[in-house]
Amino acid sequence: MSKETNTSHPHRYALSVLVADRVGIMRDITAALMELNADIDGISQTVVASYFTIIATISTSTKMDTEVIRSAIESKFHPDEASVVVRPYRAPGNPQRQGRRKPYVVTMIGENQSGLLAAVTAFLCEKKINIEDWYVQFAGSMVTHIGEITVPDKLDIRQVQDELEQALASFGLQSRIQHQNIFRATNEIGPIRALLAETSHD
Amino acid sequence: MINQSDILSTVRMIQEENLDVRTVTMGINISGCIDRDIGRAADAVGALIRAKAGNLVRICDEIANDYGVTVVNKRLAVSPVSMFLEGGCKPADALVLARAMDASARDVNVDLIGGFSAMVPKGITEGERILIESLPEVLSETERVCSSLNVGTTKAGINVDAVLLAGRTIKRIAEATASRQGFGAAKLVVFANIPEDSPFMAGAYLGAGEPGCVINVGVSGPGVVKRAVDRLTESNPESSLGEIAEEVKHTAYRVTRAGELVGRQVADRLGVAFGVVDVSLAPTPRVGDSVGEIYQAMGIESLGAPGTTAAVALLNDAVKKGGAFASSSVGGLSGAFIPVMEDHALSEAVAAGTLTVEKLEAMTAVCSVGLDMVLLPGDTPATVLSGIILDEAAIGVMTRKTTAVRIIPVPGKSMGEYVDFGGLFGSGTVTNVTCPHGSDRFVSRGGHIPAPIQSLTN
Repeated sequence: MSKETNTSHPHRYALSVLVADRVGIMRDITAALMELNADIDGISQTVVASYFTIIATISTSTKMDTEVIRSAIESKFHPDEASVVVRPYRAPGNPQRQGRRKPYVVTMIGENQSGLLAAVTAFLCEKKINIEDWYVQFAGSMVTHIGEITVPDKLDIRQVQDELEQALASFGLQSRIQHQNIFRATNEIGPIRALLAETSHD
Repeated sequence: MINQSDILSTVRMIQEENLDVRTVTMGINISGCIDRDIGRAADAVGALIRAKAGNLVRICDEIANDYGVTVVNKRLAVSPVSMFLEGGCKPADALVLARAMDASARDVNVDLIGGFSAMVPKGITEGERILIESLPEVLSETERVCSSLNVGTTKAGINVDAVLLAGRTIKRIAEATASRQGFGAAKLVVFANIPEDSPFMAGAYLGAGEPGCVINVGVSGPGVVKRAVDRLTESNPESSLGEIAEEVKHTAYRVTRAGELVGRQVADRLGVAFGVVDVSLAPTPRVGDSVGEIYQAMGIESLGAPGTTAAVALLNDAVKKGGAFASSSVGGLSGAFIPVMEDHALSEAVAAGTLTVEKLEAMTAVCSVGLDMVLLPGDTPATVLSGIILDEAAIGVMTRKTTAVRIIPVPGKSMGEYVDFGGLFGSGTVTNVTCPHGSDRFVSRGGHIPAPIQSLTN
């Protein structure tokens, strides 16, 4: 799940927690934050192969030491059960300086081979394509990668598609980069006109 | 994050199941080009087409790349050309206009251009008669020009004189293109209740009530629907017909949405109006892209067997329902086509003799169009062709639906012989009506079959 709102307090922090999944983890983390009078204003949580992970941003009315926040959360777990990281929040750079970006989805389906993800991510990085989310699914010797990416507006998507295919030729798998609207259009309910209006500024 | 299984199912539809946009068709109103000097009119039509459609193919290709969805055909549809031929024109003038259309369509790199058409449900004007009589020459001497005639409507009844003329003209077109096995006849469709916004060829034209320039999109996807039915019946071999209809409806929804997305983007980029998405299961000769295969997946092992018409009805209705929920802009023909030559499963059934002309006719009562791409012996009399058109028109007029006839009497060929047009037009075996004689007196009476009582709706 992922949700972000405006901050309710002036002092903001980013935190992450990694812990073997069990019932009650969210309860423990939110209890610790409540005791600190902190508000959660952004959150993304998932479970991968029985490991729970959360990234959240929180805000507080008074400035706090990050170690205080970390200890408060860690105290809710058994010793060595959880890895907790807390950092002062750093606002992203000016989006206008990064240029306009468009949302695409990259999919790769084929035989699982070592080095595949390294090759793909190196290619995307070289093109200044940002990975927003990545998902991998294994089925026997086959693997499916799905990545949500944002592509700089100035790139020719046809050329990027061709170059990705070349970069992955030695792995012998099928790869595609498609604008996310094709997936939203074929799976969501709601007028196409509204979808296009919503994404015309992407 | 978009749901991963949704992403994968869309990728599968595109990559493995032949989901594509079958056609993006630009409608252009050319009535402003009418001129007493036919050469000047032809120049104006050519210039207008080049101006409006010059970027159509490039933009379609760019958007297709962006979404990873193929746009198979890019086409044009213009206002009925017959209105250019009123007031003392000759068949040679019709050819001048057709050549201008052909040349401009080639220049903007589209596959076909429709609208060399005449709307004659109640009467035939001088210009409309000239257009029809010019068709053998026009369709044999141009490459991309397609023609359509509307010989009946529920409101007007059936113009039997026009049907007789159409039968004779189909014979002449086939003979004029005898060196190509009568291929010219595949570029003429004779309709009842012709839609004014269909993007599919050969019957596309731009109706009088349409915008001056408009993008209409035809989506297909028989392969996607067939695989959806396969998956359902593999997971539950006892699936009921209701469950199959539900599955088809959901699949049609997704197919329609992909088409509208592409169509609206093309229209936006070109700065013209978006018209309709025509959600029609239009097959191609490729295996895996067949409407006949869907009926087989439902359980009709031998196409033409009792139950086939019900299977067509189920499919046609479910496609319409899925499309109607997906978009407020569904129009054109929307349903399931049964073009015999363009569908390998239907073509094989005709060759095997299980699917007859008469059974196809019954199926057209519940499919979205009519008797389509059927090969007949070259010596079939014109009155028999007219009788076939009359029967189809009667079904359409009485049931308030579109019906159409695209039949090819192949010169020099007899029943059972094989004919291959190549490409999307496909191949097939010459068949025949079970009773080719005995209705000449009825058909030849001509005149007008009055509009049915259903027309009195006010």
